[in-house]
Amino acid sequence: MLERIRKILMNQNDITGFKICETKVQSNELFFVKKNVDMDRAKSVHHFKVTVYIDSEENGKNLTGSSTTNIHPTMSDAEIEEAIKETAFAAKFVKNPYYPLAKPVASYETAPESSFAKETLPYWMNQITKAIYKNDIYDKGGINSCEIFLNKIETRIVNSEGVDVHNVEYKCMVEFITTWKEDGEEIELYRCINCSDFDEELFAEEVKNMITTCREKAVARNTPALQTFPVILTREAVRDFCSYYTAKSNAASIYNQYSTWKMGEQVQGNQVKGDFITVTLDPFLKNSVHSSGFDSDGVALTPVTIIENGELKRYEANTRYAHYLSVAPTGSIGNVVVKGGSKTAEELQQEPHLKTVAFSDFYMDELTGDFCGEIRLALYYDGKSTIPVSGGSISGNINKLHHEMYLSKELWKDNNFEGPLMVKLLNVTVAGIE
Amino acid sequence: MKTEKSEFLARSKPLVRKLIDLLSEDYKYVSVLGTDTKGKSYVVSKTGTEVNDFMFAERGFVVRVHNGVNYSEYSFNEISEDSLTSIVDDIKTKLNKVAPEISVNSYDLVKEEELCDQFFSESQINPESISSETIIEELTKIKDAACALSDLVVNFSVSFHSMHVSKIFMSKKKDLEQSYLICQAMAICVARRENKVKEFYYPLSGMKGYEILADLEGAYKQTVEECIKLLDAEPVKPGEYEVICSPDITGLIAHEAFGHGVEMDMFVKERAKGAEYIDKRVASPITSMHDGAAAATHVSSYLFDDEGTIGTDTVVIKDGILKNGISDLLSALKLGTTPTGNGKRQSFERKAYARMTNTFFEAGNDTYDDMLASIKYGYQIEGMYSGMEDPKNWGIQCIAVLGREIVDGKFTGRLISPVVMTGFVPDLLQSITMVSDQVELDGCGYCGKGYKELVKTSNGGPYIKARVRLG
Repeated sequence: MLERIRKILMNQNDITGFKICETKVQSNELFFVKKNVDMDRAKSVHHFKVTVYIDSEENGKNLTGSSTTNIHPTMSDAEIEEAIKETAFAAKFVKNPYYPLAKPVASYETAPESSFAKETLPYWMNQITKAIYKNDIYDKGGINSCEIFLNKIETRIVNSEGVDVHNVEYKCMVEFITTWKEDGEEIELYRCINCSDFDEELFAEEVKNMITTCREKAVARNTPALQTFPVILTREAVRDFCSYYTAKSNAASIYNQYSTWKMGEQVQGNQVKGDFITVTLDPFLKNSVHSSGFDSDGVALTPVTIIENGELKRYEANTRYAHYLSVAPTGSIGNVVVKGGSKTAEELQQEPHLKTVAFSDFYMDELTGDFCGEIRLALYYDGKSTIPVSGGSISGNINKLHHEMYLSKELWKDNNFEGPLMVKLLNVTVAGIE
Repeated sequence: MKTEKSEFLARSKPLVRKLIDLLSEDYKYVSVLGTDTKGKSYVVSKTGTEVNDFMFAERGFVVRVHNGVNYSEYSFNEISEDSLTSIVDDIKTKLNKVAPEISVNSYDLVKEEELCDQFFSESQINPESISSETIIEELTKIKDAACALSDLVVNFSVSFHSMHVSKIFMSKKKDLEQSYLICQAMAICVARRENKVKEFYYPLSGMKGYEILADLEGAYKQTVEECIKLLDAEPVKPGEYEVICSPDITGLIAHEAFGHGVEMDMFVKERAKGAEYIDKRVASPITSMHDGAAAATHVSSYLFDDEGTIGTDTVVIKDGILKNGISDLLSALKLGTTPTGNGKRQSFERKAYARMTNTFFEAGNDTYDDMLASIKYGYQIEGMYSGMEDPKNWGIQCIAVLGREIVDGKFTGRLISPVVMTGFVPDLLQSITMVSDQVELDGCGYCGKGYKELVKTSNGGPYIKARVRLG
């Protein structure tokens, strides 16, 4: 099929370049209610995305137009040709500044092979099920429902410059709800694990952790109205909080003027009292569904530090935006590693604080720096004792707070993020309900 | 203009019928949903132009069979006379591989009536008849006019998206087909003054054609002006306030509070507190709420859902009393209720769940002017950013773009942004004291189940006056 598409593209005189992205996906899926399988699903699909490029010149400026279309395996040659002609027609009126396509390189590093490659998908579905339910052993709580997805994805990217790269990756997703009931209402919390390799302990421990967290929420009191207070973010909220740094360092954000960060700039300001932030993009981070030796353009990837001790060192740039900003492309890398800070988690928790455990949905606005979230569970330490609290919300703006933030030495890893387990911020607004 | 049917699905129907016959030799229930969704996305901004296929464009099939105990599904996108046997083999060999020690829920067979029907939506202008050149030119004209309004505008983007959805649903007794056109357009302004940057957007959507873009031409000026005003917005002082919710925020509350809360697959999982509250008061007596593909003509209106159930108009809340949930086919089978036509899939590759369609509060008897005049001190909350449901514990989180300060029934011009609205759902809904007399719906966004399974929904209602906690 790919060769049929390539042949049709080669016969189009008005296009100057093309890219074909082919994906074949095999999956097995199980849907549980309590401990029972409620439905099973499987899929076998084959997709092609074709991008056509048309270079031109207008008023002395070199331009590149592009447009992308889906080619379905059920299309005849005539239908494929019609879709490509229509896409090429649209690309003629897209007049973006010129940029080159990715060129082939001698070799690409590859991510380590997943253990999922060693057995069939149904075999691993049963292994994952056993690991997930291993710690579902409590009388007052456990897994309410769970969905397990395991995908084997073969990707091939071919372009008109000679790029022809291929890989096989596995993407596992386990979404589960845990509950706990004491004397009052039953409490539930949500967790989603994404990974590319089988790690029995990861699955079992995450379930245990979520059941324990539910137990704490079941006895939580209302969050006090603290006005502004030191807040310690943990786990997923730290990951989402740190997404601001990668968003603002992205070349497309710079070019589109959504970010004003400049290389060499101290992104936390010039009077930092707390920890400096260091962010590395690692395309080979272990057990991440985003690990790959090449990006969606076929650019070869290697690890790159974009922020070091608070200073912006590199923009994360794909081929197009690297050309626009006249910087070396890093390719698009989906894994983020944030260096730990100067204090242990215990040291961060010595003064009164509110440590967040679970939000309804932690929201980080990557444009403005505003962050907020409704508290589903937090631990409030008033200097004497710690109590679980729930309800109300926290809010703030990263630009007003990150000149004095503290990152834990202890690290936490979740799929494509590895970074501090905790981030402590001062003067965060806490809208309590007591 | 009537939306055209999919030629691909039309020519696939005999093959699908053969596949159903082949599978029926081994399975007592077999159904096939076929989809062919096409569309284009155009985005023109100060810094570039993008034209791509619409992100949920797809073409494929999903088979559902009763495997003797419960239901199994298989999704695929290659079909021909020669491949039918291998599809049947895949279904037999790739499904039901669960280890014997893992227990399985059982489901009854779906009971179907003979049904053959079709639906083709109407619109004024078919976007497929408008050339890419014309669409890009029109969007560029709006973008250029917006950018010329102020130096504070650092970027302004205008987008137009069309979705031509075609589906067939076939089983032993059903033969259904539908094609409908959904279009949406949006203007997004980003303004910066010194280190402060803000974004404001203006959305348009509906079961409409290219004609939707005409409304955007009059909206760019307002979008820029509101964005610039936001640069002076301040954070809210946390606390409880009297508020007027604009129709999009009313819709967000309906969606998060009692939309997700009455999805009946949550009843099956015992995840929804709503199951215990049927025929009980959950909102003030002036509050009524609907959901349904047949409840409105908007982005989630259709003849049949992704399980072949005809869409309906469900009264969720009537005069403050919780009356009905919304249901997919299998949840209804499990609960012994009637399915409401709310079984929706993100795509043919995904499972069907109980999902919202067009969800809204009914209009009331108050005028907007009376509502505004009744506020001593509070805010008018506008512009939906995001929301999150909590069907088990009835917490609610709604994040809005802004709040306009109201003192003694008049706007002061002072804005707060962003606005986090949280609370306990019944407290919020029972605090509704005034409801305006006109309903507006918006369907530009997508609804997720948790953090996945994105589907098109529309939400809305009238202006409502309530008491909420802002942070």
